[in-house]
Amino acid sequence: MGRARPARETIGRALAGRSWSDERSGWAILGAVPAARIPLRLFFPLIVAPVAVMGTLALGPDPLILEPDVLVERRAEDRGAPHCGTCHPDQHASWWGTYHRTMTQLPGPRSVRGEFDGVLREGVDGPWAPLRRGDAFLMSFPDREAEIALVVGSHVYQQYFERIDSSELSTYRRLPFLWHIEERAWMPVGRVFFHPGDGVPGRHAALWNENCIFCHNTGPRPRMRTTEAGGGEAYRSFDSRVSELGIACEACHGPGRRHVERHANPLLRYVVQFEDSDDPTIVHPEKLSQEREVSLCGQCHAQRLPNPHERIFEFMAGGPTFRPGDLLGDHVEPLRIDTPSVDPSDPDLFRKRFWSEGTPRLTAYEYQGVTTSPCFEAGALRCDSCHRMHRSARGREVDPRAQIDPDLKGDRACTGCHAGMVDALERHTGHAPDSPGSRCVACHMPRIVYGLLGIRRSHRIESPDPRRDIEAGRPNACTLCHLDRDGGWVAREMTRIFGRPFEAPRRRPDRAPLDVPEALASLLSGDVLQRAVAAQHFGAPEVALESGAKAWLVAHLIVTLGDGYPAIRHLARRSLVALDEELELGLASGLADEGLFGDPERRREVISELLTRLAGHRDRFDVPPPATLLGSDLRLDLDRVQALLELQSSSPISIGE
Amino acid sequence: MDSSDPAVSKTLRLGWILLAVWLPLGLTLEALHGFKVAVYLASQLRRELWTLAHAHGSMLGILCLLFASLAPRTLHGQALTGAGRALRTAAILMPVGFFLGGVLNSEGDASPGILLVPVGALFLLFALVRAALGSRSA
Repeated sequence: MGRARPARETIGRALAGRSWSDERSGWAILGAVPAARIPLRLFFPLIVAPVAVMGTLALGPDPLILEPDVLVERRAEDRGAPHCGTCHPDQHASWWGTYHRTMTQLPGPRSVRGEFDGVLREGVDGPWAPLRRGDAFLMSFPDREAEIALVVGSHVYQQYFERIDSSELSTYRRLPFLWHIEERAWMPVGRVFFHPGDGVPGRHAALWNENCIFCHNTGPRPRMRTTEAGGGEAYRSFDSRVSELGIACEACHGPGRRHVERHANPLLRYVVQFEDSDDPTIVHPEKLSQEREVSLCGQCHAQRLPNPHERIFEFMAGGPTFRPGDLLGDHVEPLRIDTPSVDPSDPDLFRKRFWSEGTPRLTAYEYQGVTTSPCFEAGALRCDSCHRMHRSARGREVDPRAQIDPDLKGDRACTGCHAGMVDALERHTGHAPDSPGSRCVACHMPRIVYGLLGIRRSHRIESPDPRRDIEAGRPNACTLCHLDRDGGWVAREMTRIFGRPFEAPRRRPDRAPLDVPEALASLLSGDVLQRAVAAQHFGAPEVALESGAKAWLVAHLIVTLGDGYPAIRHLARRSLVALDEELELGLASGLADEGLFGDPERRREVISELLTRLAGHRDRFDVPPPATLLGSDLRLDLDRVQALLELQSSSPISIGE
Repeated sequence: MDSSDPAVSKTLRLGWILLAVWLPLGLTLEALHGFKVAVYLASQLRRELWTLAHAHGSMLGILCLLFASLAPRTLHGQALTGAGRALRTAAILMPVGFFLGGVLNSEGDASPGILLVPVGALFLLFALVRAALGSRSA
């Protein structure tokens, strides 16, 4: 062999030369030997890889197994989100980042948000401690330890459930303390519900199987059993199952088994692409009619009763019958203000969940709000007019906190239909275009709805009307920012801005004087929800008051720390913390849990101490207007304050979420 | 030097075997994609590793055939023997390593079989260097 030849020549010689017929060299396989003479063993390599692949897939662990828990068992009609993700990876990824996915989880280092630090804390009925032992998360009480078996919530706060029955069953009971994720604090579960007093031990020990399971999971089946215990007694137990923990693909797109089976055929998939009709095996929410699309979200975002009510036992056994694409009313009756109570001991059970003119005042009533909005009744409003479950149409990531379409943030969700408002904004709102008062939602979707220990936006889209709102005992959108104004002022301003008459309110349901600022009257004299709404707005950043004019807000929030409802005290404390940071009053040290949620006598001392501290800052503030019930020395007109406090309804209101 | 040299014939035979093994893997993976076999599609890591096994097995098979074609004219003696042996070792270890990495793998990591890949890569590097040096001195 001489020097290396050019590669092209070498390859050519190799392919054309003797090696083609040289069986030892291996080239004979290419065709020099007739096929009939090729030994069968030469075909063996061809099946090595396919056999190895099939063997691995058949014998190895199934990556589609959802969660290794007795609770998780797919319905026959479901396939599960991991399965969906194999063909729709982008949609799966965008869903993965949502709080819908993590509404219910098994406990683990990634799912548990609370600080299980072993620190002993004082509870309603004795000391307790959240602690971790190996992989287990526990709550330790004086008489027992409870191991966390389920975790519910991952956004605002997180609740914990223990399993309370035998290994064959799966009944889960809520534990008495939750972790507030945003505030990074433990608190009694009772604080987030509207109940007077600091909580009765065991009152909120609800069963997951008959409550949370329905709206925090996909494919829920409570599988309630009623067992005779003798003597006419019966007890309930549960052997619940869910297709998936949390809200997953099939909650909105419907069961996927038929879709998966149909689209396993690659030829059919291409045929389907050229079909005009929609795929009947899966639900595409954007293609649903307005009524059916809001029904889809309403299956969870609408508190409801089975329709007819007797179907409750069917629901408690096999789960809800609604499937995406159905009409909600065919399966359940969404609660309205006039829905008869199902509790003979509380005839106003459902009435209390609405403002007296019918607007929902709790979260999870968004369906009722949307469907009673003029934009729905006479327009094209749907849930996806504002919200996106996956990426936006322009491919933008959706903020999981409210899942507002990022392409529609600001006023764009509204101006899509109300295009004329873009150029007429200042004339329409009476506010500068960049003012918070010029945002559509500020007036048309005010924060007057309680949920998750906060006041949220109403989903009944409508326009403020001072007489209608105030006479109905409902917060008015204008006075939620203009805290120092009364209903008469609102009527005059709206008349000026809109050029047509608006009537002033003639009375408040609580009989508080109309010359007291509307928000202040609500804070002191209103019913429990009015007080909660006012307590949050007193500390809101968009308040239309200069810092020097905020002393009276602080004073009345301090008074509100004495409210009988822990939820309201918590909201007042949160607002005080915000104002304390803004105004640098040095009140923070007096706002600890111990002083506000324990002994009432201690609470009175704290309030007195805080008012004294505030009075020490009198030189830093403007002289408050007389209507605010605060003197120039920053001391309260206690007689008038007391008179307003006595107007509060004596009838307690208890509202679960 | 001719093609009857054991180093050449072994490499040539291995090249065909590699193509016979790893090309059908590609066909198999395409079928799994086409028929949306979820148990395969669900593991992103496994899909990547087996795709790499298919690609490396096929390309190294072709490389073996090229070596068998070119080496008799450019390499001699120990250079031919050493480079051929290293190439054959690499051509077996790398695709097998990728494939085994996707067998019983966890969600985030390949199986220990993946360790064959860097070993194979070192053999491949050695084969290339040996062949390059042998060609220059030939």
